[in-house]
Amino acid sequence: MKRKLWLSLIATTLIIIVAFVGNLATSNTPKLGLDLQGGASVILEPAEDASGEDLTIVRDLIREELERTGIAEPNVRVQGSSIVVELPGVRDQQEALAAVDVSGIVELRPVVAFSACQDDPLLGGDPSSQPPTTLGVEVPQTVPELLPVDDSLDEVDPATDVPATEAVDPVQDEATPEDTVGVRRNRTVPSDEPVTSDEPVTSDEPVTSDDPVTTEVGDPDLDAPVDEIAPDFTETTFPNGNSLLLDREGQPLCVGPSQGTGEVFERQSAVVDNQLGFSVVVGLRSGEGEATWNNLASQCFNGAPTCPRQDQSGNGQLAIVLDDVIQSAPQVNAPSFSDTVSITGRFSQGEAEDLANILNRGAFPVEMVAQESETISPAAGQESLRASIIAGLIGVAIVLAFLVAYYRWIALVILGGMTIWSLTVFSVAAFVSGATNYSLSLAGVTGIIVAVGVTVDSYIVFFERMKDEIRNGRTLKNAAPRSFTMTWRTIWSADLISVIGAAILFWLSVGSVRGFALFLGITTLCDLFVCYFFTRPAVLLLARSKFMIGKRAFGLEVAQ
Amino acid sequence: MSRADQIAPTALGRLYRGQTAIDFYGRRRIGMYVAIVTLLVTVGSLFGQGISLGLDFEGGQAWDVPAGADFGVEEAEQVLSDNGVDVGGARIQLRESDSRSVIAVQIQVVDEATAASISQGFADASSATVDELNFEFTSSSWGADITRSAVRALVIFLIIVAIFISIRFEWRMAVSAIVAMANDVLFAVGVYSLFQFEITPATVIAFLTILGYSLYDTIVVFDRVQENEGKYASVRMPYPDIVNISMNQVLMRSINTSFSSLLPVVSLLLVGSGFLGAVSLREFALALLVGMISGIYSSIFIAAPLLAKLRSTTGRTSRRDLLTGDDLRAAVIGAGVSGRLASESPDARVAGSRKNERAENASLADEDAGSVRTRSTTDAIHQPAERILSHPPRPRKKKKRS
Repeated sequence: MKRKLWLSLIATTLIIIVAFVGNLATSNTPKLGLDLQGGASVILEPAEDASGEDLTIVRDLIREELERTGIAEPNVRVQGSSIVVELPGVRDQQEALAAVDVSGIVELRPVVAFSACQDDPLLGGDPSSQPPTTLGVEVPQTVPELLPVDDSLDEVDPATDVPATEAVDPVQDEATPEDTVGVRRNRTVPSDEPVTSDEPVTSDEPVTSDDPVTTEVGDPDLDAPVDEIAPDFTETTFPNGNSLLLDREGQPLCVGPSQGTGEVFERQSAVVDNQLGFSVVVGLRSGEGEATWNNLASQCFNGAPTCPRQDQSGNGQLAIVLDDVIQSAPQVNAPSFSDTVSITGRFSQGEAEDLANILNRGAFPVEMVAQESETISPAAGQESLRASIIAGLIGVAIVLAFLVAYYRWIALVILGGMTIWSLTVFSVAAFVSGATNYSLSLAGVTGIIVAVGVTVDSYIVFFERMKDEIRNGRTLKNAAPRSFTMTWRTIWSADLISVIGAAILFWLSVGSVRGFALFLGITTLCDLFVCYFFTRPAVLLLARSKFMIGKRAFGLEVAQ
Repeated sequence: MSRADQIAPTALGRLYRGQTAIDFYGRRRIGMYVAIVTLLVTVGSLFGQGISLGLDFEGGQAWDVPAGADFGVEEAEQVLSDNGVDVGGARIQLRESDSRSVIAVQIQVVDEATAASISQGFADASSATVDELNFEFTSSSWGADITRSAVRALVIFLIIVAIFISIRFEWRMAVSAIVAMANDVLFAVGVYSLFQFEITPATVIAFLTILGYSLYDTIVVFDRVQENEGKYASVRMPYPDIVNISMNQVLMRSINTSFSSLLPVVSLLLVGSGFLGAVSLREFALALLVGMISGIYSSIFIAAPLLAKLRSTTGRTSRRDLLTGDDLRAAVIGAGVSGRLASESPDARVAGSRKNERAENASLADEDAGSVRTRSTTDAIHQPAERILSHPPRPRKKKKRS
């Protein structure tokens, strides 16, 4: 028992000190937020005229996208006719530009050929021999095949009456795993809903992208902003508008010119459907969106020259392209769709979610072009940080002095415990902010100062209980373990509520509320940790030792 | 040195030794009235003058002023305060890139004349022309969807907390804790509305901190209530008595904790924003201070009496007056618990145990308790009573009434 206590005490102290020193040595400190440290700012201008409403939508989309890709607590706002994005803690201007490159537009391009475009000098080899790397789809011919989902849809939507003529898809090859575009045609909603986009999607527009292929081969990470230029591909756009693009597995596909953008989809409508495996269901924007999509779909379904059949049994394939990376190239199984499109295939949940995110994000109403990036100075500044830290330290010092005066010798444990607690919080905060990009704002710093009060409370509850027990005749040695048992119950109940609150706020909210929740959770968990692994052994050992005999603690003289 | 278990002569001494006997339940109306006044004032103020939302919520106006050797952040602040704009609500940053270097100033929307005057002020100070200043409107950065997601998170949080407290304690405690918490947040919002302090994202964080702190404080008190409930399970102690005893027992802890939590915040307010002049800290610290004081107050004067009220009207009715004065004190320090003291004197022990064995009826047990209290309580409180501490008396098995 005694050995265990010593072990816990010493191990905890050592681990925490080593972690702290390690963090200091590698100068791994918690990141500071925009208001304290400044960061980088990028101004995004719309590529064409955009209404204020469009910009507000873009603002929300950009913030959402930044948070999803791990940039925490960005400050995004519309200023004049542009959007200002401020990123905390980013010093490198290139990094900032890369990070905000989230407004890429999703393009719909028919697949012309599987491997290389004609007269493609670069890739003569048969890429289909490459095994798929990351996607769970086993693709026998490298390209996900598009199948209609009519019978599966019947299960999903019993109300669906699929007219035989429309649902006909002879290519019901069950053996072929695929991405499939199918239709949910249960509802034919009259398209009287006004199309909000004032820009008609021109489907014969040549591919304007003159930048080379941007993916790194085999890069499975969708979320990474793609703006580095892969050196292997110098020029992959052909005079006829075809381009050789890579899919997410790094396999090249030759695709025709863009015939539509992500705007054909209803904004934020893509959801993952997990009945019958994971598939993505996305709504079509009624009116022009649907028309554009159906125009493309019928070309591919009929195997028109712009979207030829890739083998005897299949239909043409339609590639969904984001930033010149093919995200999915499903076969089109129906000539026309109404209302929704379902993309099925052997997606894993993560892949389906990625695709849904891309389709949602592709719904940017306007393309945003990043202007130059600037560094920004902190808004509140070092002064505020310094002031709050000095003020906080003074406050904590007074608190500790008070506790020493009140509890006398046993307050040694408080001093030690608070030191260990602050070192733990520092190390954990440094680690978490390094790993997640959450930064400590002024509100966070002051939140930690408030947490001091709650942490000190653990000791107060414990010692007040011991005081009661001793006053009523127990010895210190006897009172300590009993008191801890009761105190621990109180502390975990109360702390658990804070942790639950922190977890829910972190999980469900965004922006600075999320950052607050993170640091609330950290301080509370550290409190529980220190209480059990440091305070408990320290007090129990102190209570047993001869050190306390004859000394005053709790305002009582400790007798043996 | 005086005996530790003697009653201290002064109020402070009694407080220090945990020998207080304050009838919190008897004063429950105070808490109720204060809560009602808080509610009325807050709602009245919210409807009357609303709440002042900051730059991040409402958007504002922005200037980009070319920075130079003679124009920096401090000069910009100077121009703003010359025009009567609160610097605390403004955001002034230096933006730099390879090609330019500007001071970006954002403030809340002001009327045209003031805006023009500020523009002129910036132009003069930075020796640029007014046209060179990039004057634009800027939108809020805290969009409606952030608020929506935060509110949704909060609602789910409250539901889960209520479930957690109901499981760990009981549902009446969940109700009391959440009512007390709502009171605290209302109070803080009321102060903000009444004095028209500006709401910033930091303020929202402060409100959330208050919310967590209030719940925490209440749970610590309730844990003691629940513990005492178990101890007194055998002696038919009325619930308000249990609450009163528990409150007095945790009073010193509450005071100590409050002191320890408030000190850093007071220091933040006085030292940080007062002496060191960090304006952005001021309102944040103020919100925290107000909310934490309210949180401490509400767990004692709102949550606990409300819990007692909820329990006393639903549980068994008490057949005697509640403990007050020295009786309460005796119970608080652990001696002279009704039904327990009887076992201290040999005669009473025989009589008491027989009675208990027979477990006749409630009125007899209460008579017993009543007779105990007529004895000299000074005897009672000197009884060593360690058993009442962490060793609850083994609850007697309840026999079915025949």
